[in-house]
Amino acid sequence: MRNKDLNFFKNRAYGILFIFFALLALLVARFFFLQVIKGSELKEQRELNINASESIYPKRGRIVSRDGYIMAEDTKTFSIVVDLEQKPDINAISLIADIFNKDLSADEVETKVLNSLKFSTQETILSDLSQEDLAKFLVRSSELSGFSINESYKRNYDPHPSIFHILGHLGFINDLDIEYFSQRIMGYDENLWLKVGKSGLERVYEQELRGKHGKRYFQRNARGNRKQITRVDNFVEGQELVTSINYIAQKKAFDLLKGKQGAVVAIDLSDFSIPVAVSVPSISANDLSGISSKDYADLLNDKQRPLFNRAFMGLYPPGSTIKPLLSIFSLSEGYTSWTETILDDGFFRFEEEQRVFNAWKEGGHGITNLEKALVESSNPFFMNLATKFDKDKFVNFMQSASFSSLLCVDCYPHQYSPLINDAWKQKNFGKDLYKGDFINIGVGQGYMLTTPLHLALLTSAIAKKGKYQIPHLVNNSNESPLFLENKLSNEDWERLNTSLINVVYSPNGTAFSVNAGNIKMAGKSGTSQVVDISSREEYDEVRKNPLLRDHAIFIGYAPYDDPRFAIAVVIENGESGGRTAGPIAKEILEVLTIEN
Amino acid sequence: MRINLNNALIISSLVGIIIAGSLTIFSVTSIDLSYFFRFLLITLISICFVAAVFYLLNINRILSAGWIILATNILLVLSVEIFGQEINGSRRWLDFGFLSLQPSEFMKISYAIFTIQYLRFYSFKFTTFRSLFLLGALFITAIPIIIQPDLGTGVVYIAFGIMLLFICGMNKKYFLGLFAALIILSPVLYNFVLTGYQKGRIISWFSSEGSLSERWNILQSEISIGSGELFGEGFLGSKQNEFNFLPEADTDFIFSIYAEQFGFVGVMLIFILLAVFILLSLNALMKQNNLSYDLSPYYLGSYFILVIGFSFLINILMVSGLIPVVGLPLPFFTKGGSSLLCFSIMLGFIFSAKGFLRA
Repeated sequence: MRNKDLNFFKNRAYGILFIFFALLALLVARFFFLQVIKGSELKEQRELNINASESIYPKRGRIVSRDGYIMAEDTKTFSIVVDLEQKPDINAISLIADIFNKDLSADEVETKVLNSLKFSTQETILSDLSQEDLAKFLVRSSELSGFSINESYKRNYDPHPSIFHILGHLGFINDLDIEYFSQRIMGYDENLWLKVGKSGLERVYEQELRGKHGKRYFQRNARGNRKQITRVDNFVEGQELVTSINYIAQKKAFDLLKGKQGAVVAIDLSDFSIPVAVSVPSISANDLSGISSKDYADLLNDKQRPLFNRAFMGLYPPGSTIKPLLSIFSLSEGYTSWTETILDDGFFRFEEEQRVFNAWKEGGHGITNLEKALVESSNPFFMNLATKFDKDKFVNFMQSASFSSLLCVDCYPHQYSPLINDAWKQKNFGKDLYKGDFINIGVGQGYMLTTPLHLALLTSAIAKKGKYQIPHLVNNSNESPLFLENKLSNEDWERLNTSLINVVYSPNGTAFSVNAGNIKMAGKSGTSQVVDISSREEYDEVRKNPLLRDHAIFIGYAPYDDPRFAIAVVIENGESGGRTAGPIAKEILEVLTIEN
Repeated sequence: MRINLNNALIISSLVGIIIAGSLTIFSVTSIDLSYFFRFLLITLISICFVAAVFYLLNINRILSAGWIILATNILLVLSVEIFGQEINGSRRWLDFGFLSLQPSEFMKISYAIFTIQYLRFYSFKFTTFRSLFLLGALFITAIPIIIQPDLGTGVVYIAFGIMLLFICGMNKKYFLGLFAALIILSPVLYNFVLTGYQKGRIISWFSSEGSLSERWNILQSEISIGSGELFGEGFLGSKQNEFNFLPEADTDFIFSIYAEQFGFVGVMLIFILLAVFILLSLNALMKQNNLSYDLSPYYLGSYFILVIGFSFLINILMVSGLIPVVGLPLPFFTKGGSSLLCFSIMLGFIFSAKGFLRA
């Protein structure tokens, strides 16, 4: 009986023992998997648990003007963050929500505190504190344990809108930025910098301005408390950028254009730096930091395009301001001489096509030679001249005048003026260039387009008798001089100079009303058509719409006996180059001359 | 108990486990080496003392107090609700000044004593009434544990109770019935009995969608174990412990710290020691030839051997992520008086059972 019981018991006990060994075998397999197969992987995860690092960001370099004004600099900013060492309790959370009830709700704070606990991250509760808010926090900081103040840097710009396009702005990095910087900066690490230069000097000189970031390596425990710092890589502060911008003149230029749309670019001929580059309208660079996406979209959709840098990007028909350049080409190739004349009766008749082109002055200028054609801006003279142009020679010459090449060392973004040749016309119109096209090109209309920057550079080359350099905003490179392709004698250059002086100082000159006084300005006015029209009556109809009015353009340089500054002014829909753009050019040149 | 190879192996495997446990406890709390020796000494002495007391006591006398022992234990469990300390959101401990005890830990002993005493009266003959009575007693006495809330201890208590009834020879149909009931009732139990915190633990085990903190413990435990690799980081080399990445490293998850320090080889050593202890001590019971008329110590001894063995397995299955985290101590590893006392008592029963059978 007892033996039967005993056997029965033994069977059942051994049955359970069997389960025990089956589970033990399962555990052997499990530990083999965890420790031998996945061991090194899990060990790596453990190292990730423990070892952490944080970046130390240096102060970004200042950007200053040549005349010593600080245009951009990093300033300290304070924010409230959740402590990593000690977590806030419910009283501290409700107190902080109470103190800053304008900006915070207790729920928001609590969510951030929980996130901080969960992921061991330093969550920001409130950033960019005002002095007043900072004081409010500090006064009650004993009751606010678990929160602390974090110091960081914030980019601050001089608020004047004239410098926005030159400086550019910072913004959160995106794929386009990564592509841009990886092509230009050796070993670029896209994960290091949250905000990068989006345009202007901030972008071009990103590497110099930002310096080198440092890194602090440390070991931390599960609560995120730091145990010990294992290594520190020191940071290098960003370099200061001294630009060629003349802050006073820059501001003056902007204020003169206020309420209009247009651009001014001036070039210092002593080193081909750019003291003035203004695009109107504009915004204050500070307005873009922390802007809402709606406000940003509004700015982008603004019909006046305040974010568009007209000075470097705007393409305008140069109108009559192209005439000095075409004179150089014509004299070089023998299409005309200073003595050759034509009769200007206010029209140009294109015999081959039986077409008649109107000139701006009713009745015309009468017997006209090259100088008179420049001073009084005779269109028939230059239309006639242009019909003689050899296509290939013209294209070659224009190429030497920087059409189709980049125009500035460090202007960002900037655009080249298209080179008008057969290939260009084939691409856009499916035809080769023909004589009729040159009639328009002769007066800077039709297909010809230039940027204000390019106009200023061409003016510089004319002022320096064909010699020029690629302009820059920050002088850190020695550009070798370039030459306009020409066969002009010194006498030719002098006569060209005289003609351009007479534009301003001769009573017949188109810019005589500028009343240039004693700043010794030479120049050329231009009026470029926005729409293609063939009669003056038609224009009177068209000008009722201000947006279809002609653009006013003026190029000039001073002093004419030893040129120091060249300038190009474009006023969109400003109608008369001589009367609208000329006086502005004069005032800016005045400021530049006095400042130097 | 004669000294022979078998017994020597049983004792040395046990001592091996206790030394490994003490080393691990020391490495987690790591104060200084003299503390470790003191701790080891206290552990060994208390185990020997308790085991000796229970070995020497007349087991009949203990058994005849079965009703009283079970009733007292239930009262202690209930009294926790009134006098107990609250730790981690549940009341389980009674503070006696020099040591705090978790009365629910002792329930698996009390129930066994009660059941064996009851069955002995009927010469281990089961009837329908007796079967249902013992099952009923098991489930009813589990309620105070579960409502503490301590689902893990409660469920394991029930499982061990069922195992005892199985060993003692209850008809198979009851076990099949219980199994069927469990399957049918599991959705109801899940929805109405489990608290959110308990559900969280189960969800986190079944999917990766559980809350981060639920998943966290298991993940960190697996990281600790894996980091040990084949040979371990060496004694005191647990970085997971040093940097506090493993919560409850001195109680539920202590084996992960052991595994990190001593590696797969160390884990296998523990498994071998455990297997040797369980297999040899159970065999020693089974091979007794001159049995007394009373099989009670027999049942009790094998029950406690299996409880120790399965307590090991459940804890290690839990820390290695194979079952949900139920919060069960690892015998002779987990820091805590209740667990140590509880398993020492079981050892006393195991040794006394062998001695008794020899008589």
